[in-house]
Amino acid sequence: MTLLQVRNVTRRFGGLTAVDDVSFDVYEGTVKALIGPNGAGKSTLFNALTGFDRPDEGSVVFEGEELVGRKPREVVRVGLARTFQNTQLFEEMTAGENVMVGSQARQRRGFTTAMLRLPNAVAEDREAREDASRLLRLIGIEEWIDVPAADLPAGIRRLVEIARALATRPRLLLLDEPAAGLNATETRELVQTLFRVRDSGITVVIVEHDMGLVMEVSDEIVVLDRGAKIAEGPPRMIQKDPAVIAAYLGGEVDDDV
Amino acid sequence: MSEFLQFLVAGLKNGSIYALIALGFTIVYAATGAINFAQGEFFMLGGMLCVSFTDLGMPLPVAAVAAIAATAAIGAAFELLAVRPIAGDSPLRIIMVTIGGAVVLRQLALHFFGPDERALAPFTEGASLKAFGVAVELQTLWIWGLTALAVVALALLYRKTAFGRAMRATAIRRDAARLVGINAGMMVTVAFALAAGLGALAGVAVAPLTQTAFGVGAAIGVKGFAAAILGGIGNPITAVAGGLLLGLLESFAAGYFDPAYKDGVALVVLLVVLFVAPQGLLAKAGRVKV
Amino acid sequence: MNARTLRALAPLIAVALALIVPLAVSDRFLLKVFTFCGINALVVVGLALLFGYAGQVSLGHAAFMGLGAYTSAYCTVELGWPWLLGFVAAGVVAALGGLILAIPSLRLKGYYLAMATLGFGLLMSLAFIQAEPITGGVDGFSGIPFPSIGPVEFRSASSLYWLVWGAVGIAVLVAHNITSLRPGRAMRALHGSELGAQACGVDIVGVKVRTFVVSALMAGLAGALYAGVVGFISPSLFTLTASITFIAMTIVGGTSSLAGPILAAVALTLVQYSDALIPGLPRETAQTIQSYQEDIYGLAIVLIVIFAPRGLAGLWKRRSAGNEAS
Ligand SMILES: Nc1ncnc2c1ncn2[C@@H]1O[C@H](COP(=O)(O)OP(=O)(O)OP(=O)(O)O)[C@@H](O)[C@H]1O
Ligand SMILES: [Mg+2]
Repeated sequence: MTLLQVRNVTRRFGGLTAVDDVSFDVYEGTVKALIGPNGAGKSTLFNALTGFDRPDEGSVVFEGEELVGRKPREVVRVGLARTFQNTQLFEEMTAGENVMVGSQARQRRGFTTAMLRLPNAVAEDREAREDASRLLRLIGIEEWIDVPAADLPAGIRRLVEIARALATRPRLLLLDEPAAGLNATETRELVQTLFRVRDSGITVVIVEHDMGLVMEVSDEIVVLDRGAKIAEGPPRMIQKDPAVIAAYLGGEVDDDV
Repeated sequence: MSEFLQFLVAGLKNGSIYALIALGFTIVYAATGAINFAQGEFFMLGGMLCVSFTDLGMPLPVAAVAAIAATAAIGAAFELLAVRPIAGDSPLRIIMVTIGGAVVLRQLALHFFGPDERALAPFTEGASLKAFGVAVELQTLWIWGLTALAVVALALLYRKTAFGRAMRATAIRRDAARLVGINAGMMVTVAFALAAGLGALAGVAVAPLTQTAFGVGAAIGVKGFAAAILGGIGNPITAVAGGLLLGLLESFAAGYFDPAYKDGVALVVLLVVLFVAPQGLLAKAGRVKV
Repeated sequence: MNARTLRALAPLIAVALALIVPLAVSDRFLLKVFTFCGINALVVVGLALLFGYAGQVSLGHAAFMGLGAYTSAYCTVELGWPWLLGFVAAGVVAALGGLILAIPSLRLKGYYLAMATLGFGLLMSLAFIQAEPITGGVDGFSGIPFPSIGPVEFRSASSLYWLVWGAVGIAVLVAHNITSLRPGRAMRALHGSELGAQACGVDIVGVKVRTFVVSALMAGLAGALYAGVVGFISPSLFTLTASITFIAMTIVGGTSSLAGPILAAVALTLVQYSDALIPGLPRETAQTIQSYQEDIYGLAIVLIVIFAPRGLAGLWKRRSAGNEAS
């Protein structure tokens, strides 16, 4: 079943067309990778899908609902959660508190109930706390729960951000270069986490430069080059696609890990 | 008609002062991306130091130059001591450090110069010039002349000297500037010194007309910032235009409506620009980078 | 005693201390000084929410205090309203002021928000002078009645002390509830990363506006209390200098903390009244200290921001974290 339909999305910055008429589908329960050389427009596309940026043209439909024009907050509530290429953690808050903020996407109690410390506000708080430790345990980093984000190692930071996104209880998880800055062991852990996430029924879209990881986890790959989609298909086909090889050889092959 | 001209003269006089302060904001912003909340204190220091130096018996031109140089040095020290330790940090910290620093500078002035209002003798004695029914004080001519001189000197410095080109490069790309061997830290210190010197020049030039005191910095600083942002922050040409425009607005509001409105004008302008077009109203007209 | 028990006991110790002061202090002036500490603490609790938690700077908080003070004075003196009604009106007017400033400021961050609040504060100080029919102009407003709630009038130094610190207590309770639950995390998230907060579904507009309003409300109520306690207000009380004093207290106290800023508010207020605090202090010495009071505030801001950016609360947390680890 199609969970997300991306149709003819275009985003221009002045004379530069960062995303050029891109269309693809994401099927429920699968992992889709979005790859392409530096500056191909992957992050720009992510922003367009999640309400952080408004595409100039095109539509993004999630389960029959149009997402273009919605605020990031509304997009999360519909069921799309994301992480950032530059991790956007709340540095002064602990890992656990960071994840608790993720729960806010589906909570409703506001200022007034909190001010009066009404029972349902307290209950919601307890629920968020339990959720946070459950998620950190699921990802295998519960020992970091009380450490301020500013003091976390890079690998753990990426995983905390994923846990935080999961706390919004998404149907679709969008990860922007989750393996950037991770060492080999951490990358292994990330792969395990991705499988666990997928097995729990959450669909994943991942932007990643680490080709080993991409080939291992993804069911389908979309390749962007200079904003445009140049290929789409299962990993084995993409590996052999002449257009893809040309794009990567033409640019620099980016293999940070 | 003559009333209109009189307001025009008054507006352009104060406007020149605001332009100099606005240039100070612009220079620091261009070099660091930061707003220095202590900018107004340099205006105060310039005036107060000049008065004190003449009290010590220095002839006025010497006192004026000494006051400007001393304030520029204070500006550099301010950068090195207070701003440098947190350079590149969050705006929040830079705001706080420069605000705290402004308070310290003002209090130092209070302890050194006392709480009284001070005045400077006019640069040249003589009756006001009269033309078209308008009286123009000689000091006003000095203000215009010095402002014009400062603007031209600054333009030459930025455009014609290797040093100025380095400053402009730093403003555009700090990381790239460092790669080609420009000492970005040094540039920032110089930017603060220049900004402080310009503020001091304004303070010296206007001291014979309006008395000065240890506490005048904050208000003039806000007006200078209003002028800078009216023009679009970071652009020296529109900063000067913004200063003159703000002076005129003030002068006409005070003249045609109520003198009591004078001080409110800059604040209203500041808030309106911030709320409506924080990128500046004049910026689009002339997109020139430093 | 380890850090955790100390933290659990801290509120009790604070309440006990607050209760002991009026019993231990017989000097009426000194008691008034501690009352002023409470008034400043009330402003600072609000500012701690806005600045320390949500990371939104306000350089014009004295304006909200002034709005509250003048509203309460006008309502009680000119309109003859009961004090409590004027007190409520003061809160409402200040909160509206916060709303009016917050909404157009939503797009502004960092330097620009700071300048907008600074400009607002200066504009309000001008307004307090210029709106003479309402505010009494530069001469200010005198003859403001003592606070009263129904038949109970707060005249004695100790009853005023109770009233003010009672209000502080309630404000702290409310602020603690906010900060320890969902809205507080949203505020800190906003401070940490607006992008991250948005990605978590935080309503950043709503959080900013609400925090601004609550913060202005507390400042307004503090202003009303000041008017009632002193009986006289004038524009010179609600200036940029006062706003910076509140900022200094909040910064010294530290981010993401209520206890730190309250302690700092008390300590920095006491600096102004060293003569009352230290009996037998020569007049000149007291005056010297007083003349350096703003230097202390300015230097405190600079030093704390450079050397201990999270303030007293940050130092304390780091120390107790170290203790727990060892
Ligand atoms: N806000 C913006 N304004 C102007 N240009 C932009 C903006 N954001 C992105 N771009 C440009 O759009 C292009 C695509 O950028 P984008 O960040 O989407 O690439 P990417 O595929 O994520 O690259 P990377 O692998 O390096 O993260 C780049 O040329 C970039 O410079
Ligand atoms: Mg990217």
